[in-house]
Amino acid sequence: MSGMKQEERLLLIDSLLDGTISDADLLRIEAEMTVDPKVRQTYYRRLQLTMLLERQAAEEGGRDRPVVGKHPRRRSRRMMMIAGTLAAIAAVLLVLFYANPSDPGSGESNVPLAASPERTASGFAILSGQDDAVWGGKPINDGDLLPSGELHLLSGRVQIELFSGVQIVLQGDSSFSIDSPMQVTMLRGIAHASVPEPAEGFRIKTSSGDVVDLGTEFSVDVDDQGADVHVVDGEVQLHPHGSETLQIQAGVSRRLMTSGNAVETLTSMPDTVSPTEFQNQLQKKQHLRLSVWTQSRNQIQSDKRTVAYYPFHSGRTGARQLKNFADGSPLLASDGTIVAASQATDRWGRSEGALDFSRIGSRVRLNVPGEHRGITMFCWVKINSLDRLYNSLFLTDGHDEREPHWQWMEDGRVFFSVKVPETDQAGRDPSETVQPVYYSPKIWNASLSGRWIMLAVTYDVENARVMHFLNGEPISSAPIADKDLVESIQIGAASICNWSEPMYRTDPQFVLRNLNGSMDEFALYSGALSADEILQLYRIGNPNEQ
Amino acid sequence: MEPKNPTDGETRSIHEADFVALLTSGQNAITLTVRALMLGDRGMEEVVQQTNAKLWQKRDDFQPGTNFRAWAAAVARFEVLNYRKQQARDARLRFSDDLEHQIACEVGELEDDLYDRHAALQECLKQLKPESRDLLLSRYNGEETIADLASRIGRSVGGIKVSLSRLRTGLSQCIERRLSTGESVE
Repeated sequence: MSGMKQEERLLLIDSLLDGTISDADLLRIEAEMTVDPKVRQTYYRRLQLTMLLERQAAEEGGRDRPVVGKHPRRRSRRMMMIAGTLAAIAAVLLVLFYANPSDPGSGESNVPLAASPERTASGFAILSGQDDAVWGGKPINDGDLLPSGELHLLSGRVQIELFSGVQIVLQGDSSFSIDSPMQVTMLRGIAHASVPEPAEGFRIKTSSGDVVDLGTEFSVDVDDQGADVHVVDGEVQLHPHGSETLQIQAGVSRRLMTSGNAVETLTSMPDTVSPTEFQNQLQKKQHLRLSVWTQSRNQIQSDKRTVAYYPFHSGRTGARQLKNFADGSPLLASDGTIVAASQATDRWGRSEGALDFSRIGSRVRLNVPGEHRGITMFCWVKINSLDRLYNSLFLTDGHDEREPHWQWMEDGRVFFSVKVPETDQAGRDPSETVQPVYYSPKIWNASLSGRWIMLAVTYDVENARVMHFLNGEPISSAPIADKDLVESIQIGAASICNWSEPMYRTDPQFVLRNLNGSMDEFALYSGALSADEILQLYRIGNPNEQ
Repeated sequence: MEPKNPTDGETRSIHEADFVALLTSGQNAITLTVRALMLGDRGMEEVVQQTNAKLWQKRDDFQPGTNFRAWAAAVARFEVLNYRKQQARDARLRFSDDLEHQIACEVGELEDDLYDRHAALQECLKQLKPESRDLLLSRYNGEETIADLASRIGRSVGGIKVSLSRLRTGLSQCIERRLSTGESVE
């Protein structure tokens, strides 16, 4: 490029993009652009940068200003890009729709896409297992999406599955961040990675250089002075910061120095486990937990308050009955009868231990006798999605006086109500005879999909309170107004995971209420269990380590 | 998604779903073309939308297997001209016809790597001093003119322009550096 100086040229290009350029300057830069393709390229690059800065400013504009410098929120960058792309697609489809409203077939299928934005979740990896893990900061549960930004494992071992298919076992005191499905930065600690073929090129960045996989299994041990790389299988490429790239094969170890070189390793390979070995260890631990849980179940069974207790595991293929294991209560529910639901894998990994209720009509029928001063219900469920307005957990046939309804709303709130008898409402203004519903906060999000969770609800007459629980923790607690308190709950014929129409049809639009998911344990108690008891039930029944 | 050259000269009409995919992936090229020609004109969003609508109308003219982005850029250029005509004004700021044609051709051929560039930009932004970053993003955040910005922070318009330009240049160099080191290891 010749003529004017580069800085001046860039200033002119910037004023072109601003629209503030003077006529004389326009002529000068136009002349350069006309004769010099490099100047045009500079213009395009500058324009791209402008568009990206605008996008960046728009993304950050949604946050509270000032954003700068303080605590840049570590939102997943790639998700932002994806969100941007989705927005662009939605914009295009909207344009198409409005530009061609009468054009037959002009994307009828496209319009709903634009109308209902896709649900998204944020992250590049999930936590697929942990063993004695202690996290610095908030604990992370199995199956959780790992947040972006720096993560700190204080001790123990964890396994991470990146969406690229890469599996990593991290152990001991480790600091790291997951930058993308294809890149992890290790600041400190030991990682053992297993990289499947589709994820070749996966990179671990360290302060002394990068390790790029070429189809392998390898471990990286990062400390303040450098990083030891040990290749277990296949080969990896090392990119020291100060010297040339080199490739090392299975059985070879090298140390990346912060000085920028790669040298012979003096230490032996750390005692790491591969993701496969780690899973085997976890499975053994899970078996142990299963046997502890099985043994502790007789406490639930023999509890005088337990009216119905159905661990769904039958051990038999095609079983259509669910035995009620409760035996301590004077009032016991019937055994359950399985309708349409098919057998599925339970939370312990046993193939016939759960029931899948996603088929329309699926349910377990039961009968619960007597009157109850308050109730508690808990269940372990795995939901695929909440795809109906009401998604049933436990509903009585119809919704008669004193009967409880427990279901999940499409918007992610758990719904619980006990119908207040009309007689108690006599003399009231009809507009006030609305049935009380005790909602939990919205707890559903896409990241819960396909994961086993424990839900519980208590209707406590003594304290006039309804509480919802998720995984043993109370998530809401609402007082029951005096006028709404039902001191004697009745159930009678009822269904787990579906609803049976009443004889009269008052609300026919809600007929489909079966749950799109599986359940493997359900219990109903007379009276309200304490929050501690619920937490204990969760701890004993949780197949995974916290 | 760079289309291959057609194996035969036959004109086939494209499936709508495929066309939507092309249109979606071509958005950056379309926006880039419109903006490259409109020189700060605020009507550019409208023109981008018009271009999308026109591309959809003319979808049967598109020959599958040819370069969609080049075609879209050419259509975008005509929509820019059309916009000027509709606005019944000759834009004060515009390039010569020859240069406009040249730009529309070249923008359609540009490497579509905005995704990588954005990722690189975000890394590079982290290296800026907080006040520099704030100044830069303020420029793109909302409707504030440079004059407003200058009076708000008590600096001259010329001074801010130079600062902004240098910041952009620094970011560009950082982005190119990141992209080139990224490429060398792929």
